[in-house]
Amino acid sequence: MTALIELDRVSRTFHTPGGPITAVDAVSLAFDAGEAMCLVGESGCGKTTTGRLLTGLLRPTSGRLLYEGKDVWRTKGADLARFRRAVQLVHQDPYASLNPTRTVFQTLSAPLFRHKKARTSRQALASVNELLQRVDLTPPENFVTKYPHQLSGGQRQRVAIARALTVDPKVIVADEAVSMVDVSIRISLLNLLLALGREFGVTIVLITHDLAVARYFAREGRIGVMYLGRVVELADTESLVGDPAHPYSAALIGAIPEADPDITRSKKRVDLRSAEIPSLLRLPAGCTFHPRCPLSEAGLCDLKIPELLPVPTDREVACHVAVRERTAEQAATMA
Amino acid sequence: MSVLSVRGLSIDYLTRRGPVHAVRDVSFELEKSETLAIIGESGSGKTTLAVGLIRLSPRGTKVAKGEILYTKNGMTNDIRKLDDDDLREYRWAECAMVFQAALNSFNPVITIWEQFLDTARAHGLNDRRRVHDRAAELLDLVHLDAGRVLPAFPHELSGGMKQRVLIALALMLEPQMVILDEPTTALDILTQRSIIDLLRQLRQRLGFSMIFISHDLSIAAELADRMITMYAGRVVEHARVADMFYRPRHPYSLGLLRAVPRVSGALGSVASIPGSPPDLVRLPKGCTYAARCPYAIDACREADPPLLPVDTPQHEAACIRWQHVAEVLGSDAEIPVAEKLA
Amino acid sequence: MTSAILAAPTLGQRLSGPWFATVEFLRLLSRRPVGLVGFFGIVFFLLLAFVAPIFVPFQNDPSLVDIYLTPSLAHPLGTDFQGKDVLNQIVYGGRDILTVAIIAALLSTLIAITFGSIAAVIGGRLDTAVVAVTDITLTIPKLILLIAIAAILRPTSFVFLAVILALLQWSSLLRQVRAQVLSLKERDYVEAARSLDLGLFHIVFREILPTMRSYIVIHFILSMTEAMYAQVGIILLGLVPISGSNWGIMLYFAQGQGALFYRDSLWYILSPILAISLVQLSLASFASALEDIFNPRLRGS
Repeated sequence: MTALIELDRVSRTFHTPGGPITAVDAVSLAFDAGEAMCLVGESGCGKTTTGRLLTGLLRPTSGRLLYEGKDVWRTKGADLARFRRAVQLVHQDPYASLNPTRTVFQTLSAPLFRHKKARTSRQALASVNELLQRVDLTPPENFVTKYPHQLSGGQRQRVAIARALTVDPKVIVADEAVSMVDVSIRISLLNLLLALGREFGVTIVLITHDLAVARYFAREGRIGVMYLGRVVELADTESLVGDPAHPYSAALIGAIPEADPDITRSKKRVDLRSAEIPSLLRLPAGCTFHPRCPLSEAGLCDLKIPELLPVPTDREVACHVAVRERTAEQAATMA
Repeated sequence: MSVLSVRGLSIDYLTRRGPVHAVRDVSFELEKSETLAIIGESGSGKTTLAVGLIRLSPRGTKVAKGEILYTKNGMTNDIRKLDDDDLREYRWAECAMVFQAALNSFNPVITIWEQFLDTARAHGLNDRRRVHDRAAELLDLVHLDAGRVLPAFPHELSGGMKQRVLIALALMLEPQMVILDEPTTALDILTQRSIIDLLRQLRQRLGFSMIFISHDLSIAAELADRMITMYAGRVVEHARVADMFYRPRHPYSLGLLRAVPRVSGALGSVASIPGSPPDLVRLPKGCTYAARCPYAIDACREADPPLLPVDTPQHEAACIRWQHVAEVLGSDAEIPVAEKLA
Repeated sequence: MTSAILAAPTLGQRLSGPWFATVEFLRLLSRRPVGLVGFFGIVFFLLLAFVAPIFVPFQNDPSLVDIYLTPSLAHPLGTDFQGKDVLNQIVYGGRDILTVAIIAALLSTLIAITFGSIAAVIGGRLDTAVVAVTDITLTIPKLILLIAIAAILRPTSFVFLAVILALLQWSSLLRQVRAQVLSLKERDYVEAARSLDLGLFHIVFREILPTMRSYIVIHFILSMTEAMYAQVGIILLGLVPISGSNWGIMLYFAQGQGALFYRDSLWYILSPILAISLVQLSLASFASALEDIFNPRLRGS
C-alpha cells in the first residue's frame, strides 16, 4: 500500500548572508492515513522546515513530495488546490495564527463560503457551531462573536484547529501546537488532535521539541528524531524512549528533566564529547553528530554520511556504529 | 534560620478594568542554602511575586500589605522599608535575580567584559584588575572560557552560554540568595541539562539559597528542596518536594502533576485540568479552584480556605477536601500521581 | 432563533460597536492636547468651507472706494485690490481647495493600496513591474512635472486637477504599503488563509488590509496636506485657468496685483496663507496624534 503523503529524499537550502544553509537534507518520511506521528528535535534541526515542506508551503530544493502517490510540485490547477486543502498546518503561536481583526465566526465561515460548503449565513453558522463543538468550545454561542484577544491561548489554538477542519483535511501538521499553551491544558489539546485522527482518519504529524509530549501523543505510533537537517532515528515510540539506538536520541532521553524527583535525579546520562551544536553554515563532514558523539570512530564517522537503515527490530537508524552493533547482536542471538 | 521571610504579602496592579489582585496573602520562609521552587501557570502571580521580592515591580503595581523580611548577620530588615541606596545594595549584593527575558536584554553593542565592568561599577568596584580577576573566576565557575567569552559580543554567544554569563554576573557580589525566573525555559534539552547540573554544583560549592519561578515541574523535581504551587495569586500548597510529587494534597497540584507526561517509566493516567483559570479582576466567591475541581463540594464555594496542615510534616494545603485527596492517592509509596490514578 | 441573532449583529450591536469605538477614540484623543486642537481645527475648516457658505451671502461686487482697507468691523480681514471683503473670500475659498485635496488623497491612496498590496502578495514579475514604475515616478521631480502637465493640459475643472495630483502622489505610499504587506503576508494567519485556498481577494482585502487601517488613515491625511501644497503652488504660478474664489487664487491675485507694495494690504496677503497653514497644521498634528492612538505600544507612556 502506498503512503498517503511522503517526502522522498527532500532537501531544502536557504540562502543567507553567511552562505547557503541546508535546513533539511535528503529527508525521506512516509505517513499512512490516520497515523499519529511525531517529529522531535532541538532548535535548528530542521523540523519546522520539514513541516512546511510537508504542507507544500515551501518548495523543496531537491526531492519529491508525494500525495496519494502523485508528485505534488508537478501537479497543477485543481489537483494542486485539492492538495493544499487536504494538508493543513496548525501553527505554534496561538496569538499570531488568528487575525486579530476578525471574529471567530468570520475566521471560520470564510473557508466555508469560499468552498461552497455554506451559501447563507444561517448555514455557515450551523457549520461553525458544529466545528466549535467538535473542538470542545462549548457552548458555541459563547465563542462565535469573540475576537482572538478575548480568548485564552488554549481556546485560540482550538479555533485554529477548527479553522483547519473547515476544509476536511486529510493531513494536519501541528508545529509545536501545544508549546505555548499552559501546561495544565496541553494534554487535552493533544487528545483533541488524536480524537480527530481516530474519528475522521486524519493523519496528524506533531512537530515538537518536547519528548514527553511526543511520547504521549505518538504512544501508539512512531517518533522521528531529527538532528541538523537529517532524520537520525525513526522508531516505534515505546522502543525509542525505552531503548534509543542512536547516540543522539539516547543523549536527549537521558538529559530530559522529568517531573518526578526520583527518576530525574537518578537517570542514566550520556556524556557528550562537546556541548556545542555546530553551525548550519559549517556542518561537520560525515555524520554531523560525530564531533559530539561518544561512539564516534575516526576514519568512519567523520568521513561517511550514515544512511537511515533498518535495524532489528522495527526501527531505522542513521548511525554506522549502532547499525553495526545492533545487527551483530541480532546475528549472535540467532546463532 | 531563615534568610528570607515573606509574611502575608499581597500585590495589586491596576488595569483598565480595575485592580488585579495578582498576589494574595503569600507567606513563606527560605532557609539558608535551601532551594525553593515556586510553580504556577500564566496568571498565577508567580512573576509578580518574584519581582515584588526585589521591589522591581513595574509602575501601577502596589504592595497592598505584608512584609518581606531579610536577615543577614543577625540583622533583619523589611525590604519594603529600604531606601534607594540600601535597596540597590540588597538587589545585587544580597539577592541577585536572573530574568528569563534577560537572555535577550544584554546590551547588544558592548562586550561581555564591559557588562561585567558596568555591573561592578554600579556597586562601587572600580579596580579593573580586580573586576577582571573576579569575572574570570566566575566564568570559570560556570564552565566558560574567560579568554574567549569576555571579549565577545552577546550575539556571538549561544543561548546556553548567555544564560551561564547571566548566572556568573548574578554571583559577582556573592549574594546569599538568587532568584531565577524560568531559568531554562527558552533553552534546548541538552543545554537545559547542563544549566541544571551547573546550578546544582554552584549551590553545593557556594551554599547560597535559591528561589525558582517556573511553570515547569521538572525543574522543581530536579533542584528543589521545597516547593510551592500558586493558583490565582495564592499559595495553594507548600511541601517538601517528594511530598508534593508523590503525596500532593491540593487538587490543583494533583491536576498539574497529572497533566505532565514523562519520558521514562510508565505513562499512567495523564489528563488535563478542565476549564480555565478565573478572572483575576472578578474573583469568584470561595475557593478559586472550585469551578475546575473534581472534588469540590458546596462548602468549597462558600469561603476561600486557608492553608491547613495535612498528614505529612511541613506540608500545608489550602483545601478543605485534602483528606479526600489523601484517600484517593494514599500516602505510602513514592509513585507518581498519574500512575496511582491509572 | 439565537442563531439568527448571532449570525447578524442586531441594530443595537451595530450601533454600540462604532459608538463605543468613537467614545474610546475621543477619550484617547483628549489626552493629547495638540492632536485635539488639530482635530477641532479640521472640524472648524470643514464647517467653514462646506457649511458656512450656506449662511453667508457671497459678496462679489467690486467697490473702488474700499480698495485695500485695513481690518475693521465691516471687513474683519480688510479688503482686496477690488475692494471686496477678504473674510468673505476666505469663507468661499476653502471648498474647492479642500475638495481637491480630499479627492486627490482618496485617489492616490486607492491606487497605492490596490497596486502596492497586490504586487506584494502576488510577487514575481508583476511585483517587479510595479516597483519599477513606482521607482521611476519617485525619481521625477514632482513639482516640475506637475507644472509641465498643468501647462500642457490646462486643467479646467477641479476634479481634473485632483486626478492629476493623485497620479503624481501615489508612489511613496505605494512603496510603504508594499513593504508593510510584504511583512504582513508572512504572518501565520495569512499563511493559514493561503493553505485554506481563500483566494487573493480575501487575503488582501479581508486579512491584510484591515490590520493596516490606522496606517492608511494616517497616510490619507498626510497626502491631503501634500495635495494642498501642490495645488496652491500651481494656482499661484497661474497655471490653472480657473476663475472663482479660492485661497490659491487669492494669493495669485495678491501677488499679481502688487498687494505686496501696499502697507495696508497685509491682512489680504496673510489671510489665505494663514488659512492654508492652519489647515495643514491641523492635519499634521491630528495625524501625529493618530499615530500615538493607533499604536498601543506608545499608548501606555
